Amino acid sequence: MQSHIWTKQYPGGVPSEIPAPSHDSLPEMLREAVPGNENKVAFIQCNWNGMNGTLRFGEVDRLSDAFAVYLREVVGLDPGDRVAVQLPNCLSYPVVVFGILKAGCVLVNTNPLYTAREMAHQFSDSGARALIIIDMFADRLVEVLAQTSIEKVITARVGEFFPAVVAGVIRIVQKYWDRSIPKIEVPHTSLQEALSEGRRRLHEEGTKAKDRLDSYLDGIGQGSLAALQYTGGTTGVSKGAMLSHGNLLSNKEQMLAMAGEHIRPGEETILTALPLYHIFAFTVALLGFYCTGNRNILIPQPRPPSNLKRAFENYRVTWLPGVNTLFNALLNERWFIEHPPRHLFASVAGGMALHESVAKRWQEVTGTAVVEGYGLSESSPVLTFNPLGGTAKAGSIGIPVPSTELRCVDEQGNPVSENETGEIIARGPQIMLGYWQRPEESERTLADGWLHTGDMARMDEDGFFYIVDRKKDMILVSGFNVYPNEIEEVMTQHPDVSEAGVIGVPDAASGESVHAYVVRANENLTTEEIIRHCRESLARYKIPKKVVFRDDLPKSLIGKILRKDLRAEVLGTEMPGAVLEKGSVEPRQASVQGN
Amino acid sequence: MDILQMPSLLALTLPEIDPHEFVSTRDQILLIVMAFFIMLGMGASTTPRDFISALRRPAGLVIGWLTQFTIMPFLAFVMVVFFLVKLTDLPQEAVWFLGISALLMGSIPAGTTSNIFTYFSKGNLALSVMMTTNSTIWAVVMTPLALLIYGELLLGGAIMGIDMQAAHDLKIPLTNIMVTIALMLVPVFAAMGIRRYNANVGAVLELVGGILGIFFIIYLIVTWVPRNWAILTGMPWQVYFITVGLGLFGITIAYNIAKLIRLHPKNARTVGLETGIQNGPLAITIVLVSFSGSEHLALVAIIPALYTLFIVFVSLFVTLYFRRANLAEEQKIPSLL
Repeated sequence: MQSHIWTKQYPGGVPSEIPAPSHDSLPEMLREAVPGNENKVAFIQCNWNGMNGTLRFGEVDRLSDAFAVYLREVVGLDPGDRVAVQLPNCLSYPVVVFGILKAGCVLVNTNPLYTAREMAHQFSDSGARALIIIDMFADRLVEVLAQTSIEKVITARVGEFFPAVVAGVIRIVQKYWDRSIPKIEVPHTSLQEALSEGRRRLHEEGTKAKDRLDSYLDGIGQGSLAALQYTGGTTGVSKGAMLSHGNLLSNKEQMLAMAGEHIRPGEETILTALPLYHIFAFTVALLGFYCTGNRNILIPQPRPPSNLKRAFENYRVTWLPGVNTLFNALLNERWFIEHPPRHLFASVAGGMALHESVAKRWQEVTGTAVVEGYGLSESSPVLTFNPLGGTAKAGSIGIPVPSTELRCVDEQGNPVSENETGEIIARGPQIMLGYWQRPEESERTLADGWLHTGDMARMDEDGFFYIVDRKKDMILVSGFNVYPNEIEEVMTQHPDVSEAGVIGVPDAASGESVHAYVVRANENLTTEEIIRHCRESLARYKIPKKVVFRDDLPKSLIGKILRKDLRAEVLGTEMPGAVLEKGSVEPRQASVQGN
Repeated sequence: MDILQMPSLLALTLPEIDPHEFVSTRDQILLIVMAFFIMLGMGASTTPRDFISALRRPAGLVIGWLTQFTIMPFLAFVMVVFFLVKLTDLPQEAVWFLGISALLMGSIPAGTTSNIFTYFSKGNLALSVMMTTNSTIWAVVMTPLALLIYGELLLGGAIMGIDMQAAHDLKIPLTNIMVTIALMLVPVFAAMGIRRYNANVGAVLELVGGILGIFFIIYLIVTWVPRNWAILTGMPWQVYFITVGLGLFGITIAYNIAKLIRLHPKNARTVGLETGIQNGPLAITIVLVSFSGSEHLALVAIIPALYTLFIVFVSLFVTLYFRRANLAEEQKIPSLL
C-alpha cells in the first residue's frame, strides 16, 4: 500500500501498516490472554445499587470452554452454525460469546430491547439454531420461535455468577418487587445447567479436554465467519454483516496500534456502559481490553445515568467508551461533575456525532479528552480515529487507522480533491466478507473491493476526515439507526392510515428524532392510536416522537413518497433557519452503525 | 379553673392517658434497634463523597438551620395564637400547657425519621444526616432560646399576658441528645466503611434498611393507634390541625424557600423534610423529664404524641409526591446505541 497523507499524523510508534494478525482465530487470541492473568479480575458487573459480581480471566476461560462443549456436544451444533445472543451487559455475556466462538460457531448479537417482530426477523434471517437470552425478556419467545429455526433456548439471569446471597437478593427483588421475571412458556435450559453439563462432559474420562476443544476449531481460520452483525446498512432492511475472525482480530489490532502505549496491559479499567451487542463496544471494549489483560466493568442498565454513580465511585475507571448521549448525560449529573473520575485517562466516542460543545465541556470537567472515531458494522467497526496525544482535531472523525485506506469519491467513483465532499469508501483487513445471504447487496456495497459507506465526508489537507451528511434517508436516534421504510411500512399496516412519510428532524437530546407525516383514511384516527400501533411492532427508539396529519405527501411521478422534499418542506416551516443557517445543525454522522 | 373540670371531651379522656405508655420500654428498645439497622442501611447508600459535596455547598445546611430554628418555632407560635388562643374556648390553663408543648414541638430538631423519609424521597441523605446532626447539637441552645422568645416574651408577655415561667423549666436532656446523634452517626459511618470494604454487603444492607424502614413506619402506626386511641379521638379539631399543620406546613414552607433560592431539587426536598419532621420521641422525653410529677404531664404530652403519629402520615404523603417529582426530573436519555 502506498503511503498516505494521514500517516504523517500518526503519533510516534504507530505504524502505518500492521502485519496480519498473529492469531488464527478469536478463540486462540482469547486463550492467549489468560496465562499469567488467571487470578486477575477480567469482568465486573456493577448494577445500579453497587451490587456486583466478578469473573477472573481463568474463570471466564473455563466457563466458556464448558459452554463450547455444551453447544457442540449437547445441543449438537456444527461449526459455522449461528447462535443468537440476546443479553444486556452482564457476566454471562463474555462467557456465552467466548463459548460460541470457541465452539467454532457464529455469533449473532441481538438487541435485548427488540420486539417479537424484530427478533423473529433477525433469528430467521440468520438461521440461528440456538439462542441465549436474558430471562427477563424470554416471554416474547412464544410468538417468535415458531418463525425461526431455533432448536435450543438457554436462559441467563441478571445476577449470574454473583455471590450466592447477592444473586438471591437480586432474584427476590426482580421476582416480587419489580415483577420483571415473566413465566417462560417455551422449553429452555438455564445457563448454569448448560455449564455444568458442559463441564461434566469436558472432564469425562477418556478424552483430553484440550484435544476436544481444539477439535472444535478444525478448519476455522482468519477467513472463517465469526459473527453476523445485523445492521440496516444503507437500505433499511436489517441484514447481517459477515465479520470473519480475521476482520475482528485485525480491527482489534488496528485499534490497539492507534492507542499505542495509552492502553497499558493489565493496568486499565474500562467502564462499558454501551451495550456489547453493538459492534463498537464489542470490538473496542470487549475484545481490545480482554486481550490486553485489562478489567472491564459491565453496566447492565445505564439509564437513568445516575445508575452509573456506584460504578464510578467504586472502581478506578481509566477508559470510557461512549456516545454523545452518554457523555452529555453524565455532564448533566451533579455527582459526576463534582467528583469526576480521577483516574480517567481517555474516553472514546463513536456511534453518533460527538458535539463539539460536549467534547469541550468533557475536557473541562474531567481534564481528559474524548476522541472521536468512525466506523460501521460492516468494518468491524473502526475505520478512523483521532490520534491520542495532541493532534486530534475537533469536529473531525480523525484519520484512518493503520492498514486502512479511505477515500472520498464522487458519483462516478472518482476521488474528489481535498476539502471537497464525496462518499467515503474504505478498504482494509477489517472490512466484512459481505452481507449474509444477500449477494447482490454485498456486491453493491463492496464494489471494486471498497466498502461504500453511504456517508458523505471531506478530507482536509492533513488527512483528517469530517462527516458532512448521510447519503440516504436513515435517521440516527442517539446512535440507533432508524429506517424510514420500516416505520412507514408498520404505520401503513394500520387500516386507518392511507400513507405515511417518515423523516428525521434535528433534536437536541437525541441528535435526530423520528417525525411521521400521515395521510388518514379515517378522520377519527388519533395520534395516540398510531403510537400504540407502532409500539406493537417497533422498538421504542423507532417510535415517532411526533405524528402530524396531512392531506397529502410530496410524491414523485411514479408515486414514491419524496422524503427529501418532505424534509425540506417541514424543516422550512417548522424550524425556520434550522437547516438554512450554516452550522446550526450538527453534522449528521452515521459513525458506528448497527442496531 | 382546673382543666380537668372542663366539660369537654378532653377532660373525659385524659384520666385514661398515661404518657409513660406513649412509648413502652419494649417498644423503645425495638425502635432503637430498628433505627440502628435502618441507619446502617441508609448509611450504606452514602459515600464520603456525598458528605464532601454537602459540605462544599453549605447553603443547604445554613438554610436548614434557619428554617429549623426560625420558621418552625414561628409556625408553631402562629398556630398556637390563631388556633389555640383565638379559636378555642379551652380554659387558659389548657391553652397554656398545649401551647408550650406545641412550641416545644416547633423548636425541637429533626431525628432519624427525617433521614428515613429523605432516603425514600430520593433526597440527599448525606445532607439530611448532617442537618440532623447540626440541628440536634444546636438544639441544646436553640430549643430553650426559641421557647424563651416565643413562650415567655410573646405568648407570656406581649400577647397573652400570662405567666410562662415554666418555659424556663424545660430541661433539655443532654444524654438523649447525644444518644440521638450517636444512634444516627455510628451506623451511618460504620455502613460507609462496610460499603467501601464490600459493595455487595453495602447494597444488601441498604436494601434491608429500606425494608426495615417501611416496617418501622407501619409498626409506628399499628402500635401507636390502638394504644393511644383515647387521645386520638378526643381532641378539639384545633389540636389536630396544629399537629398535622406543623409538619405539613413546615415541610412545604422550607421546601419552597429552598426551591426559591435554587437549591438542587434533591437538596430542596431534604431541607423540606428535615425542617418539617421533628424529633417527636425527643420531645416526649423532654416533656416526661421536665414535667415528671406534674399533674399536667398528660396534657403537655398530647401534642408531641399526636405529632409523632401524624408526621408519619404527612411524611408518607409528601414522600409519594417527592418521588414523583424525582422521577420527572430524572434525566431521560434514549437507549445508548
